[in-house]
Amino acid sequence: MFKKVLIANRGEIALRIIRACKELDIATVAVYSEADADSLHVRFADEVVCIGPGPSNQSYLQIPRIISAAEVTNSEAIHPGYGFLAENASFAEICASCNIKFIGPSPTMINSIGNKSLAKETMKQAGVPVIPGSDGVLKDVEAAKKTAAQIGYPVIIKASAGGGGRGMRIVRDADAIDNAFNQASTEAEAGFGNADVYMEKYLERPRHIEVQLLGDSHGNVVALGERECSIQRKHQKLIEESPSPVITETVRDAMCDAAIKGARAVNYESAGTIEFLYENGEFYFMEMNTRIQVEHPVTEAVFGTDLIKKQIEIAAGQKFNWDKKYRMRGHAIECRINAEDPSKNFRPSPGQIKSFHVPGGPGVRVDTHAYAGYVIPPFYDSLIAKVITHGRTRHEAILRMSRCLEEFVIEGVSTTIPFHQMVLEENDFVNGNFDTKYIERFQEVTSFRN
Amino acid sequence: MNENEIKRLVKILEESSVSELEIRRWGKSIRIAKHPSNSLPSATSPSAPVASVPAGASDSNASSDTENAAPAKKSGVEQKSPMVGTFYRASAPNADPYVKVNQVIKSGQVLCIIEAMKLMNEIESEFEGRVVEILVENGQPVEYNQPLFIIEPV
Repeated sequence: MFKKVLIANRGEIALRIIRACKELDIATVAVYSEADADSLHVRFADEVVCIGPGPSNQSYLQIPRIISAAEVTNSEAIHPGYGFLAENASFAEICASCNIKFIGPSPTMINSIGNKSLAKETMKQAGVPVIPGSDGVLKDVEAAKKTAAQIGYPVIIKASAGGGGRGMRIVRDADAIDNAFNQASTEAEAGFGNADVYMEKYLERPRHIEVQLLGDSHGNVVALGERECSIQRKHQKLIEESPSPVITETVRDAMCDAAIKGARAVNYESAGTIEFLYENGEFYFMEMNTRIQVEHPVTEAVFGTDLIKKQIEIAAGQKFNWDKKYRMRGHAIECRINAEDPSKNFRPSPGQIKSFHVPGGPGVRVDTHAYAGYVIPPFYDSLIAKVITHGRTRHEAILRMSRCLEEFVIEGVSTTIPFHQMVLEENDFVNGNFDTKYIERFQEVTSFRN
Repeated sequence: MNENEIKRLVKILEESSVSELEIRRWGKSIRIAKHPSNSLPSATSPSAPVASVPAGASDSNASSDTENAAPAKKSGVEQKSPMVGTFYRASAPNADPYVKVNQVIKSGQVLCIIEAMKLMNEIESEFEGRVVEILVENGQPVEYNQPLFIIEPV
């Protein structure tokens, strides 16, 4: 087991990793930017090294300084957390060449999975369902008609060379395809100088359901159930839960099997997540993330496990014994509390937290790096706390979360707590009746008031 | 518990009237005791100021242990480290140090080496003047913006 680990991150995840290390009797080294000098992860670590000024590209993304910090402190391994350098294959490679163990997958794995179209192809070869689509560019309208008939309507025609809604047309039946193809191609030509378009099945109201994976260095791979992450705003998750309120046991087994197949296909090591789009009983591979995710606590709650410790143990070469009898127990929900003002279009609200009182009681976990008097720096993301509740049923977990959000006091900055409270009371949320476009519709229908 | 924490505890003990300290943490414990000599403070000797250290906080210099015990600061500007690495006063173990205290230096003159990732980096002075103090020891790890030298501009 490692004697010393350097945490190449900040905020709540750095604290999370330090806690796991302490429990494994591993000495910790924190790196920090000048803006984070008073941060909790700096105070809790055994040793600290300043690596630059506030902006991330001058500090937390500075590979030479981080490696140097590991060398001068004799750290044996680096945990990259999430974001920053967590999925940077060069960083993983440099660690390897400097004899420092990168707690995560190998550079090769990061590269092959990070390449979206390569990843999709690899998954397809492994027998993982992927979103049905054209094999590359559509030659002409005839090809479009044929492909659409194969895939099944509705379909979406997209520009190969760009995005952002340009050169995109949703087609719901065969009559509309001629026009759609021509319009999309023309728009693509005008917008990106390239008229090439391709086609994919269009999911009207998909749900984002992801599977947590763990692979050790001895070829063992396990899937730790799924997380429902459809409550998102601008592709940023706001509320996550496990298990998903909508999928059946059969679908769960199929998803986990598919995820394991995908992970084995790339000999995956460490913690990772495969994200699927789910609709009407069908699921399709969207992408794979080769890091620990923000919402890992909901999986930890329902399985009674510590994923960060598992990552460290796997990196230290340990073989894990995952009892197949481990089943998800109860239901867990997480709310990401951001320092943003929901009544002003979620404008970030950095500044000093004047008072801070976290909720407690049974089945409650709060992961936060904030405290009364803490000044939220403007350089990083606005996540200040994660509240996780665990209940015997989804209903209990929701009630518990509502209670916690009432108890949680954060003064001095605006937070998304009032917004979370509103969502938790909505019928559709309580009935599990939502998809990735839910928050969009929610915001349109209810003009948010403080 | 690491060396720097122990040094800090010894310093606290020395500067206070406490004679013995025992700390337990994570199943390990450490006990530090003062030698009982001249146990009664004499009226003529000045009493050492008690250092107040915030509980549980490890301040930003804990890992590099560069803090001067004496609060008096020499006048001049600080030449800080632009990188993370190991500080060396000379280009090789047996070579002469680049600069000595009281030496007058020019802007751009090499003051020291900082080794990072097996590469030796020459650190050039931002200032012109006299080297008043060298704040770090040869072979000591340094962090970003850590003060290395105090230079009195001429």
